[in-house]
Amino acid sequence: MDEDLALARAAASGDAAAFARLVRTHEAAIRRFLTRLAGHSADDLAQEAFLRAWRLAGTFKGSGSYKSWLMGIAWTQFLASRRSDKRRAEREGQWKPEAAPPSPDRRIDIQRALSVLGERERAAALLCFGEGCSHSEAAAIMDIPLGSLKSIVARARSALAAQLETAND
Amino acid sequence: MTEDMDARIAEFLAEPPAAPDEAFVERVNRSVLAERKIVAAQAALWRRFAVESLGSLGIVAAFYLLWRMSPDDLSIDQLTVAPVLAASMVLFLWFGVQLKPAAAGK
Repeated sequence: MDEDLALARAAASGDAAAFARLVRTHEAAIRRFLTRLAGHSADDLAQEAFLRAWRLAGTFKGSGSYKSWLMGIAWTQFLASRRSDKRRAEREGQWKPEAAPPSPDRRIDIQRALSVLGERERAAALLCFGEGCSHSEAAAIMDIPLGSLKSIVARARSALAAQLETAND
Repeated sequence: MTEDMDARIAEFLAEPPAAPDEAFVERVNRSVLAERKIVAAQAALWRRFAVESLGSLGIVAAFYLLWRMSPDDLSIDQLTVAPVLAASMVLFLWFGVQLKPAAAGK
C-alpha cells in the first residue's frame, strides 16, 4: 500500500518506470475484472484504463488503495465503452450484448453464471466476492451510494446462489 | 448463512494467482511513453505558437510605433533614438521567435 503510494507519486511526477511497476502489480486484477465484465474487449479496455490512470496520476491522493482507484477508472472506462458501443450499434440497428469469450470450461461456467446478472450486479459481485473489496470500497469504485450498493450486492448474491444451486443439481 | 453463501461465491469466482503478463505491461508502457512524447510535442508546439504570436504582435507594434512617431513630431534627439529602439525591438523579437523554439526542440 505504502509502496503503491510512493510509486503513484513518482508516476505523477512523470516516472514511467514507477508506473510500469504499478501496472505489473495490478494488471491481473484489472484485466480479470474487465474480462468478466466486457469479454473480448477487456484487454483494450484495460490498456485504456491504465493510460487514463497515467494521465490522472496526479489526482490519486492515497485516501484509498491504488487498486480501488484503478478499479474505479476501469469501471468508468467500461461504462463509457458500453455507451459508445450501444450508440454505434443503435445507429446501425443491431445492438446486442457481447457474447462470452471462448475460454476454458471453468471460465465458461463463471461467465454463464455472471451473464444472468446486469452490469451493475456483475460489477458489484466481482468487486465484493471476487476481489474482496468492502461494501464501502465497492460503492466508491462504482460511484454509487452505499445503500444502493448493498441492495445490488444482495440481488447479485441471490442470482449467483441460484446459479450455484442449479450447477450442483 | 449469508456468510456461507458469500464464501461459496468468492470461491467460485476465485482464480489462481498468475504471474504478471509482461507482454501486457510492455504494451501499456509503450503507450505511456508514446503519450508522454505526444504531450511534450504539444507543449513545445503551444510554446512555439505563443512565442511566435508575441513576436508577430511585437513586430506589428514596432511598425505602428514607427508610423506614429513620424519625423515631424519628433525632436532631432528622439529621431535617432526611436528607430534604433524599434529596430532593436524587431531584432530582439526575431531572436525570440527563431531561437526559443529551437531550444524547445524544434
